[in-house]
Amino acid sequence: MTVQRVWTLFDRSQLYECYECSRCSGSCPVALSLKGLGPRKILLKCLQQGQEAVIEDPMLWYCTTCQVCEDRCPQRIPIPELLTGLKNMASRKGNLPEKIRFSVEKIAKTGRSVLAFRVERERERYGLPPLPEVNTEEISRILAETGFFRDLAAIDEKP
Amino acid sequence: MSLKYAFFPGCIIPTKYPHFESATRAVASALGIELVDLSFGCCPPVSNMKLVHYDSWLALAARNLSLAEEAGLNILTTCTGCVSTLKEANYIMKEKSNRRRKVNRILSRVGRQYTGAIQVKHLLDVLHDDVGVESIDEKRLFDLNLRVACHYGCHLFRPSYVMYPESLSPSHSYVPTAMDNLVEAAGGTAVNMMRRFLCCGYPLAASVDEESSYEILREKLQYIRKARADLILVACASCFEQFELGQVMIKKTHKEEYQLPTLYLSQLIGLILGIDPKVLGLREHIFKVKKLLDRMTERRSKAQVSV
Repeated sequence: MTVQRVWTLFDRSQLYECYECSRCSGSCPVALSLKGLGPRKILLKCLQQGQEAVIEDPMLWYCTTCQVCEDRCPQRIPIPELLTGLKNMASRKGNLPEKIRFSVEKIAKTGRSVLAFRVERERERYGLPPLPEVNTEEISRILAETGFFRDLAAIDEKP
Repeated sequence: MSLKYAFFPGCIIPTKYPHFESATRAVASALGIELVDLSFGCCPPVSNMKLVHYDSWLALAARNLSLAEEAGLNILTTCTGCVSTLKEANYIMKEKSNRRRKVNRILSRVGRQYTGAIQVKHLLDVLHDDVGVESIDEKRLFDLNLRVACHYGCHLFRPSYVMYPESLSPSHSYVPTAMDNLVEAAGGTAVNMMRRFLCCGYPLAASVDEESSYEILREKLQYIRKARADLILVACASCFEQFELGQVMIKKTHKEEYQLPTLYLSQLIGLILGIDPKVLGLREHIFKVKKLLDRMTERRSKAQVSV
């Protein structure tokens, strides 16, 4: 997986539209509690140090995906798309939170993001039908085609 | 307009909050909405799969859309994460022909195709637009008489050019009003609080930093309390969890109490329609709603109500 992949999701020239007004970080919920973080910092780091530096940084994941940054940006830079691209690339290099890795592996294995354990009793109590069967074979086939298993396995092979 | 939908409850509500599902089914039955169960898989979430493996996210979402297309039904979902994934995937597959070709090639290997034939709607929009505020107003039995802080969340309406493209202002902005309209029509007061569109912080708690997510929540709770709201209304199970558990955690760490009950959308609508609170699962809440229910009164006659 080449690093260029970020730019298939986000047009690189849009980085230059930013004039550092900081409206994005000013609205960012994470910047509210963790001063100094925010989308502006990530965007500038991309420009100044290149995306390689950004995708190594675990602080990239300090984001609630609320997408207010895009809403507020006066230049209409699609910041969440940039962050999605960067996080995808960060994941390929093994920089991803444990809880998130656990969730996506659960989806790949069971077709659901939550373990359906002892759920039927509660559902029965509320008069609900049992959970429908998910075609896990079909999902596995799709994930094999998209390269999901290959890319996740590659994380663990890194030195 | 046909009120028949493919029901997409997601993963969290059917497993962790089944009473939201039973409330939704009861409300649907009372309003003439028909819900059809298909074997959907995980949407998958914008807060994990999309950030780790974008191609898989799009392909699995397109698979779910193709299931609904096969049944010839629009999707009704009770989860904002699901509506974000499915609406955005629908948008991307329609707008980006090279991605559509790539995904359809993968789907054909499992005998499926995406054709872009159906729409995706959140329960809030089905209630507000398809069923209609007036229709709900006519069918309700009670006046709410409560001050409600409507928390729309984030994934429900952002980015607005994907989620509500037909409702943008001339300057391409969008401010949601559906929940406020429903609360007002139900005889309640939708309070206006500062930072009402601030994220609740849940995705941060679910990935890297619980403590900081409660700092974000605290900001919201302080403004909600200042606006003298009686309860918080949400359209998302994750927001619900954040408001309930967050208040418990904030009490431990900051010794602050807000005592604000939270209701999921179909629970509130169920209450004013006169559905049994047991079916709505009100006993499952940490912050009880029971004392607020005494403030509800029987609906005034139609002649007195101005819609």
